[in-house]
Amino acid sequence: MEKDRFIELLKETLEIDESIQLNENTVLTEIEEYDSLSTLGIIALIDEHFGKKLSGEDLQNITTVKSLMEMIGEDQFK
Amino acid sequence: MTGNVRIEKTDFYLPEPVLTNRELGNIFTDWDSGKVESATGIKERHIAAEDETALDMAEKVGQKLLKDFDKSSIDFLILCTQSPEYYLPTGACILQDRLGLKINTGAFDFNLGCSGFVYGLALAKGLILSGTAQKILFITSDTMSKHVYKKDKGNRTVFGDAAAGVIISHSDEEGIGEFVFGTDGSGYKNLIVPNGGLRHRYAPKAPEREVPGTDSIRTDNHLYMNGPEIFNFTIDVVPGTVNDVLQKNRLFIDEIDYFVFHQANKFIINYLRKKMKIPENKFFIDLEQTGNTVSSSIPIGLKKLQDSGAVGKGSKVLICGFGVGYSWAATILKF
Repeated sequence: MEKDRFIELLKETLEIDESIQLNENTVLTEIEEYDSLSTLGIIALIDEHFGKKLSGEDLQNITTVKSLMEMIGEDQFK
Repeated sequence: MTGNVRIEKTDFYLPEPVLTNRELGNIFTDWDSGKVESATGIKERHIAAEDETALDMAEKVGQKLLKDFDKSSIDFLILCTQSPEYYLPTGACILQDRLGLKINTGAFDFNLGCSGFVYGLALAKGLILSGTAQKILFITSDTMSKHVYKKDKGNRTVFGDAAAGVIISHSDEEGIGEFVFGTDGSGYKNLIVPNGGLRHRYAPKAPEREVPGTDSIRTDNHLYMNGPEIFNFTIDVVPGTVNDVLQKNRLFIDEIDYFVFHQANKFIINYLRKKMKIPENKFFIDLEQTGNTVSSSIPIGLKKLQDSGAVGKGSKVLICGFGVGYSWAATILKF
């Protein structure tokens, strides 16, 4: 998947305001909208688009968008 | 015995006090009620009063079901709860007396959560088809609110208290189809009340702790739910279970008139629906006034669908319960 496409999907999932810029270095847990419901959204996103599963522990360790992409697997992105 | 069994009557009971999203927003000031409502589908939940127990609620729903009904015809009483009145005696024994059921009635409790309703139907079917019982009153009742810590924002949002019940009897037509069950006890720690049993006694001074990855606070005397792991578990087992139960009943997915899953939360079950390509108009989602009522969520759904006319004579309804244990089960009901 294109990185930009992933970031778009992530913005939709987290219901982040259009005006807010999201990039690989954004710290997800510092975004106002990020909460325990966001984690469920991320699980669904990754299951639907990558057929992968992140453990509860992985999800707790998410920091930046990049850290999430590394958990999914860098080979999944271009 | 030849023939089959059917659900003769279904009803539910909700305790009167209501906890609205607005009230939760006043308690937890950073709580975004709009977002919570759109994601979970919950506007309010009923919370039993301090002195109203799951057994009291079971009695209420039992009375509703037995109104204008020949209660001497009931010869078995089954209660599914995880909010027991006592360690012992069995709640169903007390309930037999409170409901005025005859003395030659069999009665027992069993301990399951969200898969419990489907399990109870399987037990009832087995008891009737083996000739052991004729007419069974099966009740689910839980006060999850009494397991949840007052500072646990997440669980106070999701769970509500409720009781539901059915009367199951012998029938010439097949009313309850074949069952599929599953268990994976390796996940037991992800949905648990750690203290209060005999492994870890209730600890009056149990410290407050944060639920990782959330800003909910709980103690070990209260309910703990690892939301992400529970969601992972449902994604892993529910689609396969639905396929298995269709196969076992020799039905295709488009022959099912309605799907009633355990109402975990709107986001989770709607994701499962999309993943299985179940049309929206055949999929029951209604947590608005109840929240997640564990073992009562499926019978509440069945009653609402029957009352609205969405399910009626001839309808085939696939029901699937999943959760605490981990435990899951599914069957197909024919009306």
